[in-house]
Amino acid sequence: MGASLPPKEANLFKLIVKSYETKQYKKGLKAADAILKKFPDHGETLSMKGLTLNCMDRKVEAYELVRCGLKNDLKSHVCWHVYGLLYRSDREYGEAIKCYRNALKIEQNNIEILRDLSLLQAQMRDLAGFVETRRQLLTLKPTVRINWIGFAVAQHLNSNGSNAIEILEAFERTLEDDYPPENERFEHGEMLLYKVDKLGYKEQQVSLLIKLGRVEEAEKIYRDLLSMIPDNYRLADTSFRYTFVLLRYYEGLQKCLGLYSENGEYKSEEVDQLDALYQSLSKQYNWSSAAKRIPLDFLQGERFREAADIYIRPLLTKGVPSLFSDLSPLYDLPGKADILEKLFLELENSIKTTGGFPGSALKEPPSTLMWTLNLLAQHYDRRVQHEFALAKIDEAIEHTPTVIDLYSVKGRILKHAGDLAAAAALADEARSMDLADRFINSECVKRMLQADQVGLAEKTAVLFTKDGDQHNNLHDMQCMWYELASGESYFRQGDLGRALKKFLAVEKHYADMTEDQLDFHSYCLRKMTLRAYVEMLKFQDQLHSHAYFHKAAAGAVRCYIKLYDSPPKSKTEDDDEISRLLPSQKKKLRQKQRKAEARAKKEAEEKNEETSTAGVSKTGKRQHTKPVDLDPHGDKLLQVEDLLAEGTKYLKLLQRNSSKSLETHLLSFEINMRKQKILLAFQAVKQLLKLDADNPDSHRCLTTGTYRADIFISILIHLPHWKAEAGDEFSLPGNTSPLVGNQMGFSLIRWRRLKARSEMIHLRKNIWRRVWAISPLLSPPFIPSTTPSYIEWLNLQAPESVLHILFGSQSSIDVSPMVEFAKGLEASGKQFIRVVRPPNGFDPYEEFSVEWMMEVFEDRIIERKQGILVKKWATQMEILSHESTSVFLSHCSWNLIRFFHRVSRFSAPANDSEKLVWSVIEVERPSLSQLHEKSLIEMNRSFLEKHTDSLMHRAAAAEMMYVLEPEKKLEAIKLIEESINRSISINGALGPVKQWKLKDCIAVHKLLVTVLVDPDAASRWRARCAEYFPFSTYFGGLRSSAISQSACQESLNAPENGGVNSQESKSGDTHSLNGNIEAFKAVTI
Amino acid sequence: MGAGREFVISLDWVRDKNVMQLKKLNTALFPVRYNEKYYADALSSGEFTKLAYYSDICVGSIACRLEKKEGGSVRVYIMTLGVLAPYRGLGIGTKLLNHVLDLCSKQNIPEIYLHVQTNNEDAIAFYKKFGFEITDTIQNYYTNITPPDCYVLTKFVAQAHPKK
Repeated sequence: MGASLPPKEANLFKLIVKSYETKQYKKGLKAADAILKKFPDHGETLSMKGLTLNCMDRKVEAYELVRCGLKNDLKSHVCWHVYGLLYRSDREYGEAIKCYRNALKIEQNNIEILRDLSLLQAQMRDLAGFVETRRQLLTLKPTVRINWIGFAVAQHLNSNGSNAIEILEAFERTLEDDYPPENERFEHGEMLLYKVDKLGYKEQQVSLLIKLGRVEEAEKIYRDLLSMIPDNYRLADTSFRYTFVLLRYYEGLQKCLGLYSENGEYKSEEVDQLDALYQSLSKQYNWSSAAKRIPLDFLQGERFREAADIYIRPLLTKGVPSLFSDLSPLYDLPGKADILEKLFLELENSIKTTGGFPGSALKEPPSTLMWTLNLLAQHYDRRVQHEFALAKIDEAIEHTPTVIDLYSVKGRILKHAGDLAAAAALADEARSMDLADRFINSECVKRMLQADQVGLAEKTAVLFTKDGDQHNNLHDMQCMWYELASGESYFRQGDLGRALKKFLAVEKHYADMTEDQLDFHSYCLRKMTLRAYVEMLKFQDQLHSHAYFHKAAAGAVRCYIKLYDSPPKSKTEDDDEISRLLPSQKKKLRQKQRKAEARAKKEAEEKNEETSTAGVSKTGKRQHTKPVDLDPHGDKLLQVEDLLAEGTKYLKLLQRNSSKSLETHLLSFEINMRKQKILLAFQAVKQLLKLDADNPDSHRCLTTGTYRADIFISILIHLPHWKAEAGDEFSLPGNTSPLVGNQMGFSLIRWRRLKARSEMIHLRKNIWRRVWAISPLLSPPFIPSTTPSYIEWLNLQAPESVLHILFGSQSSIDVSPMVEFAKGLEASGKQFIRVVRPPNGFDPYEEFSVEWMMEVFEDRIIERKQGILVKKWATQMEILSHESTSVFLSHCSWNLIRFFHRVSRFSAPANDSEKLVWSVIEVERPSLSQLHEKSLIEMNRSFLEKHTDSLMHRAAAAEMMYVLEPEKKLEAIKLIEESINRSISINGALGPVKQWKLKDCIAVHKLLVTVLVDPDAASRWRARCAEYFPFSTYFGGLRSSAISQSACQESLNAPENGGVNSQESKSGDTHSLNGNIEAFKAVTI
Repeated sequence: MGAGREFVISLDWVRDKNVMQLKKLNTALFPVRYNEKYYADALSSGEFTKLAYYSDICVGSIACRLEKKEGGSVRVYIMTLGVLAPYRGLGIGTKLLNHVLDLCSKQNIPEIYLHVQTNNEDAIAFYKKFGFEITDTIQNYYTNITPPDCYVLTKFVAQAHPKK
């Protein structure tokens, strides 16, 4: 380094490097400048100066200097190395690796560069490269421990486990002579563990044996493992890790004995064997609750009942709040829920009457009844009998009002019953009972967010954050469940900016995690925490398939789609709204806004100052100024140029990492349809069908996707400027009814008659281009206040018989055409209604002149009852929406021209790639298994027949019916309304359970409101569901907190303890003694 | 209770984070809502206000107020003492009262008193068992219950270290 410099400057150069390493950047800078004064072109110095500047947050200069340095000294490995470091600091690892490689070309055996390279290769998972670099390092410096281990890990990662062990053993041999010094013992131990990892090793061995079919040996090992566990984990009896490990072993043991079945169904002799096995096991491992719990999964009938009874009793006596979640999986197995219900009720009854369990002389402690009631409440909740569940939990709360779990359970029941506000109130009550319990606090926050009480939730959440910068603190702690839940809440409330902000924050956390691993590549090797290191790397590889990430990315994609569909109001619209306010209101609003802005600005500035001063004083050299959030509402996030491209970014992450999720492909479908990427959309449909062909959403995507593709293709091949003959109707592939007509030599898209605005919107949705109406769109039923004479006349005419003629309200035609036109009209013999204005060149409001022949003409046609002239204003809407009107003859207005202009820009599939797309679609379409050459309508019908009992399937079929045949809207609504909420048959004596889920019913309601747009049907649906779900706030059920206060009564009472005067408080003392009396009566007995 | 089913009864003091438990108990035990002063007194009485836990479930409480008499000596007033109905007869009330009595003797507090309705014989008997005596009768102490009179029950605690 610095070889080309004279001694003095060479020393200075060393100083630069040293100051860089010790982070004394200013000193380094000074030295660099000193060299550059004499040798302004010295490449390595320039590079180092750049690198130093980079650390002082002067990025642009840094890149310039480093590039300049490299240019001056292309043969220097230092320059290349520095360039690589610069890229690394900007997280451009690919570029950095390239630079390192260049540096190594010049200096093959530079250890530092090799090491840096190996770290990045590990980060980028260039495993082959990683192994090679590590090998080089080892051969260069075989005495350094870290190199041995690094090489071994590299081999291991490259799935070369046996090599890794060989290397470690070789290394151990070199160590044998001099035993590791005391301070390295621990690290050495770690290494041994890594190599041996006893449990892991045995597990590995077992799975191999099973694959080889050497079952007996495997069984022995499993038994060994089971006996090893107690030694290691006896103390951690209840820890999760232990339970899971144990469950796996038990499962493994079952497999070995040939007694394992995926679906949990066993033959009776198998059950006997299993029972015997577990009985012996539970004798052997008396403390193991897993050995007692597992048999509940396979035992049936009376034996199940007995085992459950034995299992549950001590847990009720002990008071284990989590008992129900332990039993919960049993509810998915047929018949068990009924048995459990009977069992619970028996226990409850026995304790209430005798004070003990059935057949037991022992008196139970008083709390057993409360825990039993709690169990029953959760049982009924699980069986969707919310009313019973609430009765039981209320009884439990009355029995012992101080148990926090009961309030949480009640909150959960209310949430399931659909009363989110009351659920949040109860969670808040539970929280108030133990202010130091973070879990309850978090649960409360979650409930509040579910009830869309974001402000309240935020206040509650920050109770457990550090003082000061509270909200950011939640972000810094990577409190992702909170960010996700509030994102969802904002999304529901339509605040897309904030929602997006929250979702992207979570996404950012994951990106940070990926970056964070960089620090560990060298740290873990140095500290020898190898097992953790390898585990971490494996975890990182799976990172983005984590559920939170999936939720966040999906949430972000949904935000972008929604934004695309309904862009936020522009500034002018906002102003419009303001302008509608009274002047005084306006003024107030403005003032308010100004004040708020000023306050926010001031706060931000203060914070900025604070952090910057703190940053300087604490770190000295480097300013850790935390940027103040300049965009707290996420407004900037909304102003993305290409929303769909943004969405696609996150979609791709989803596709890569959670390809098994329906939601991923649904989103992919939605985005690609909007991007007009038909093939990609079809790909999504295919994935959906592969995952779950019977899913209503899959059906929806298949139908709409195919339908839109059909329309699009049809329009393109029938466009007049390609090939079109007058009067053609456009036919669609697959026998869907024709919906596009070709008239008058022009290509007009004719939705039969465009009866209503909604149909126009529908058309716009289905072909992706902008569509304009030629004639005015008719609003649904137009009821004029008075009936003008021309409407009276129209009323007398036959349906669809009248020609309506209007050449504009302001413009007109010349005299002679006007006369000719009248003659022709008369000769045609058709019924007509004509709006006339004086011809061009005359005052439009002038009286009609005899020369225009209108008087005579009018007399004649009235006499023949052929038509009517309207000389003043005619309300066009009225005439057009009249059922007698058949044809509308109009001048060619500007709107019309605009429409044709657009259509003419549709181009034929001219180039090869477009042709390819069409041909692929043509081939793909029939290959979609669901279609089978059927028309979409037929397919929809058979889908409905197949799932005629399911509400959501019916709803999907109805929606598709409406899409395919808009005129069947009423039929579609009827289809939904005729769905029957069947009872699920259960043996329980406590009334039937209905089949429908609240969530689904809400979805159907939204469908009726937004897609089918039928307010009447929607309100009928609402009333019907309010009966099914009396606690639902959404449907305004009678027992929800939206209607009555009963549900949250307690929580309202709770804080009301003020306002009692001293007199009353005295009387309170008496009552306390009353309370005592009871107690002491019992004492004396 | 049967043998081998011993359940631990433990006491815990009242502070901000669990004062709601005391409120819950009072709501369940007494048909009166106590005002903020009651809770402020209870909180400031420190060890003199206790929650009783029956195997980790809060089931009873004693709440006292420390009163300064003229001349600087302190006495204790028991505001409430109660146990949830299902958990009575397990010695929880006794444990709570004994705790306060012990505390008084340790801290050289000579006097401890409370009010009780005149017809509340069980309560009077209970307190007498602990050495309380009727020291006064107040006519028309209560406004909305009959009889409206109350006794003042007082116990003078033998001092552990009379000179200190």
